[in-house]
Amino acid sequence: MALHDIRYRHWEGRHIGVWQRRGVIAFSGLRACLQNRWTRYLVGFCWLTALVYVGLLFCIGQLLVADSIIVEWAANLNPQLQAFVRALTTWLEQHPEISVRVAQGLLFYHYATFLITAALVAVALAIPHLITRDLGSHAMVVYASKAINRFDYLVGKAGVVGGLLTLTWLGPVLASWLLGNLLAPNWNFFWHSRVPLGHAVLFILAGMAFLSVLALGVSAVSSREKATVGLYVALWLVGSALEPLGDISRPWVKQLSIRYDLQQLARVVFQPEQDLRIAQEKVPIVGEVLRGFGRRPRAPWPPAPAATTWPALAIFALLSTGVILTRTKPE
Amino acid sequence: MLRRVPGPVIETHGLLKRFGRFVALDRLDLRVEPGAIGLLGPNGAGKSTLLKCLLQLHPITAGTAKLLGREVGREGREIRKRIGYTPEQDCHIPGMLGCEYVTYTAQLCGLPFEAARQRAHEMLDFVGMGQERYRKVDTYSTGMKQRLKLAQAIVHDPEVLFLDEPTNGLDPRGQVQMLDLVRRLWQEHGLTVVLSSHLLHDVERVCEHIILLARGQVLVQDSLARLKERRRGAADVVVSHRQSEVAQGFRARGWPSEVLPNGHVRVEHGAPDLMPLLDCLRSLGVAPLEIIPSPNVLEEMFVKALEGAHGPA
Repeated sequence: MALHDIRYRHWEGRHIGVWQRRGVIAFSGLRACLQNRWTRYLVGFCWLTALVYVGLLFCIGQLLVADSIIVEWAANLNPQLQAFVRALTTWLEQHPEISVRVAQGLLFYHYATFLITAALVAVALAIPHLITRDLGSHAMVVYASKAINRFDYLVGKAGVVGGLLTLTWLGPVLASWLLGNLLAPNWNFFWHSRVPLGHAVLFILAGMAFLSVLALGVSAVSSREKATVGLYVALWLVGSALEPLGDISRPWVKQLSIRYDLQQLARVVFQPEQDLRIAQEKVPIVGEVLRGFGRRPRAPWPPAPAATTWPALAIFALLSTGVILTRTKPE
Repeated sequence: MLRRVPGPVIETHGLLKRFGRFVALDRLDLRVEPGAIGLLGPNGAGKSTLLKCLLQLHPITAGTAKLLGREVGREGREIRKRIGYTPEQDCHIPGMLGCEYVTYTAQLCGLPFEAARQRAHEMLDFVGMGQERYRKVDTYSTGMKQRLKLAQAIVHDPEVLFLDEPTNGLDPRGQVQMLDLVRRLWQEHGLTVVLSSHLLHDVERVCEHIILLARGQVLVQDSLARLKERRRGAADVVVSHRQSEVAQGFRARGWPSEVLPNGHVRVEHGAPDLMPLLDCLRSLGVAPLEIIPSPNVLEEMFVKALEGAHGPA
């Protein structure tokens, strides 16, 4: 019997909802991204960095434990670091709600901004799997003929970027917060660190939303993978190269850098200068130690330019949206 | 199990589609009942455009269109849940295995994963794909891609299936198998099939109802059986000699007649069968070598449409 003699059967079942269909697109795209070994390496690297930050949080927590190995180790350090550790321990003991918030605020600010580069690399790796390949293979027609609309398709594809950024950015930060505070000497650390956690989640979610729109826009520019990835890398690198020019010419040139814009967004959300000021006030030696790290005295940290950061991000997002809407028509 | 859609499948009123100044569909009025419907016409007739307008892949310039009783352009998701579509060009997703691809498209239509996977394998069996389903679709031959397109179009059990040139690129055996599958979908399982093709043979093999399009207009719309029955009442009579005398004899009966350059005598006798013509030939004492009846309306109109598309031969 030939295979095509097998009979056709009708299907009588319940359909899944539209959000599940969007999830199917996101999950399928994410799986395709993770088939690339470089993407897997990147995800692994990001989770390894989470372990480092868990270690740092563990160390901060151990300063409250009188006979901990950290305290014993600190006793053998040079006098300046000893003084710093002692001041930090005192501060942690006396004002745990402020000290934990400030310490973790600075730590998560540093970690979240450190992972921006990883997030940008993740987006570069995801771009071919978003719209580019569907344009190249005419799969847009298949999507358009199924029980989803263009918005569903785009939400699903944004979910691919969101999923990958969760694995490389949000996930490691959340895991380091959870594990770091689980290893803390008391449960109050969870409560005291709620503000840094909120800032980290807010910043990363905003960054993920921005990068998702940007990635979809760049991915929709061409049906050739090399072209879209090349454009994205060029946008990133040229922007970064222009960043120093902003100091000597027009400041708005800096806003052409995606990385700079995200860093400024982090400063707007975390406001690390306030945390630093509190730390310097409460632990005077912190200021001295920080000043000692650089050869030249650092200029005072200006407040984050919220007035230029949001418009810069909005312009990038609007341009991307325009490209997406133009290029994702079924025909 | 036979399941048939009640009521008209497609209804259009003054459907107009323009691309700039070019009119692709010129105020089409159609009412199509369930069945195996052939959308026939030369390249550029507007067949694919009509399908794409119905599927909302192209916005309609003017007029209205209804698919399965629902207005096109308003209830996109609901309509597309009930239809299947195989586009003319390749449309696979690179990097996916054949069975993954069909499962994925089933999920996009709303089937839960387990059901989607099961249906995908059933449909791949139905279209005659064996172990190739575990290969990446990028490596498929044209024939396999056509089968895969059919499988993804029927995996969610649609009520109406739109097929755009499904035999393109297939060898003769593949064409027969593909058309046989399509025919069975209607005859044995009740799926309404709208087959768009520029090949009269394909449409005749599968369809019961024909819509002949040319330059964005409907030339003829009727059942295949009726179109085949309808003839103009003309014939070419082949005789070995006395051609002029035979033509004269026909004209004497009031039938327009002429001797063609190939020596055949063309006569328009106007009768539904050849009996009057045979009587006349008998009275003239002529024994014809052959009588070639005029082609049926469908063939004539199709040739006319082709001539319109490419210019007279």
